[in-house]
Amino acid sequence: MNYKAVIIGGSAGSFQVVTRILNGLPKSFPLPVLLCLHRLKHVRSGFVEALSLKSNIPVEEPYDKDLLRPGKAYLAPANYHMYIELANRIALSTEETVNHSRPSIDLSFITAANAYREKLIGIILSGANKDGAAGLKKVHDNGGIAIVQDPIECEVKTMTQSALQLTRVDFVYTTDQIINYLIKLK
Amino acid sequence: MPELGIVDIREIIRVVKSEYDYDFANYALTSFKQRLERLMALYNISTMEALAGKLKEESAFLDTFLHDITVPSTEMFRDPSLWRWLREEYFPRVMDKFPGKFKIWLPSCASGGELYSLAILLSESGLLDKVQIIASCLSLQSIEEIKSGSYDQKKMEISEENYRRFNGARQLSDYYKTDRTGIIRDTSLISQVEFKKLNINFDNAPQNVRLILFRNSMIYYYPTQQERVLRILYNSLSASGHLVIGIREKLSGMSPGRDFEVANENECVYRKRMFS
Repeated sequence: MNYKAVIIGGSAGSFQVVTRILNGLPKSFPLPVLLCLHRLKHVRSGFVEALSLKSNIPVEEPYDKDLLRPGKAYLAPANYHMYIELANRIALSTEETVNHSRPSIDLSFITAANAYREKLIGIILSGANKDGAAGLKKVHDNGGIAIVQDPIECEVKTMTQSALQLTRVDFVYTTDQIINYLIKLK
Repeated sequence: MPELGIVDIREIIRVVKSEYDYDFANYALTSFKQRLERLMALYNISTMEALAGKLKEESAFLDTFLHDITVPSTEMFRDPSLWRWLREEYFPRVMDKFPGKFKIWLPSCASGGELYSLAILLSESGLLDKVQIIASCLSLQSIEEIKSGSYDQKKMEISEENYRRFNGARQLSDYYKTDRTGIIRDTSLISQVEFKKLNINFDNAPQNVRLILFRNSMIYYYPTQQERVLRILYNSLSASGHLVIGIREKLSGMSPGRDFEVANENECVYRKRMFS
C-alpha cells in the first residue's frame, strides 16, 4: 500500500455523500479515514451515530492523542479542530476558528499533509465556504493525491470551486468514481 | 504566514528553556507549531532566528509569548449541559451546609471564558460569596485582560446561544456592555477572585481545592506532561474533590477507580478517591 490515510472535507450538506462513501468501502478498508465536516458548534451528539448507520467501517469521534487505526473512520468532534500529530496520533484543539470554522478543514488537511506527505489522499466534497482549498493545496504540494468532487453533483459549489481554483488537482470525480478509486487502492 | 519546521520549533523550545526555564518540550508539537506561527504573524516576525533573537534580547517579550502560546477558551458556557449539571445537581449537593469558603481552582485561564461563566452561574444561584475562586494564568497579560473584562466580540454569538441552552436566569447581555473597543464584561463578577501567575510546572498549586475546572488544556500537552499535571491537580484536591476535564480528554496515567471515580460520565467530571 502506497498510502497511509484518506482525509475527507465537506460541509454538513455533504452528509449524504459521506454516507455513500462509507457505505461503499469494504469492511477491511486498509487505511484510516479522517472526516472533517462542518457542523453545528453546540450540537455534540447525533452526527457520528447517523454516519455509523450505513457505514461498513466503524465511525468514531476520537479522544485527544488517540492512535489512528486502519479500517476506521474518525470524525472531527463538534467545536474542536482535529489535527494529525506525528506518530499517527490525533490531536484535538480549541484554537481560534479558521474561515469561521471549528473544525477547520484547512487545519486538518494541512496537519495531515505534514504528517503523511505523499502518502495521503485528500478529498474535498461540496460545501458553502472556501475552507479546505488551502488544505488540499498543501496535500498536493507535499506530493499527496488531491481529489475534488465533481461540482456538477454539488448543490453548493463554493468549496469545490475554491479548491479547483487554487490547485491543479489529480482528479475531479463523482461520488461513484471516488468510491471506485478508494476500493481499488493498492 | 511563516512556516516552521520541527528543527525550528525545537530551537525555540531550547531558547525559552535556557533563557527563562519554561519547558515546552512536552507540549503537543502540532498545536505548538500553530501557536508559534500565529504569534510570528501577529508581531511580523518572519523567521525562527528573528523570534529566537527577540526572546533572548527582550525579556519583556516572554510574557507576550506566554500569552499568545496559551489558547483562549472558545466561548462562554461551552457545553451548556455541564453548566446545567453544576447548577442543578452538583452545587446544591456539595455546598449544602458547607462550612467556610468552598475553594474552586481554574488552573489555566487565558481569556476568562470559563471564569466568567462560573461567576455568572454562582451569582445567579446566590453562591458567589460562599466560594473562594483561584484563577491561574501563564502570563500577566492574561490576568490583566481578564480583570479588565474585555472579551472577543466574535465569541458572543455562540456564548449567547450557550447561555440560552444553559437556561440562565437573565440575559447574557446583562453581564456585559459593548463599547468602541468591543465587549466589556461585568468585572464585579470577579472582584473576589484571586489571580495567580502560574509557572509552567504548576508549582505552588493551591491545596484543599473542592472543584477544579480544567477543560481543554491537556489537549495541548503530550501524555508525559498530562500525567505530571494531573498528578498535581490530584494532590490539590481535597477528599472527594471534583475535577472537570474536556469531553474529548482522558485522565492519562491515572488509574480509573483508584485515583478517581466517575461523577458525571457525559460531562467528564471525576471525583477524587482517597485510598490510593
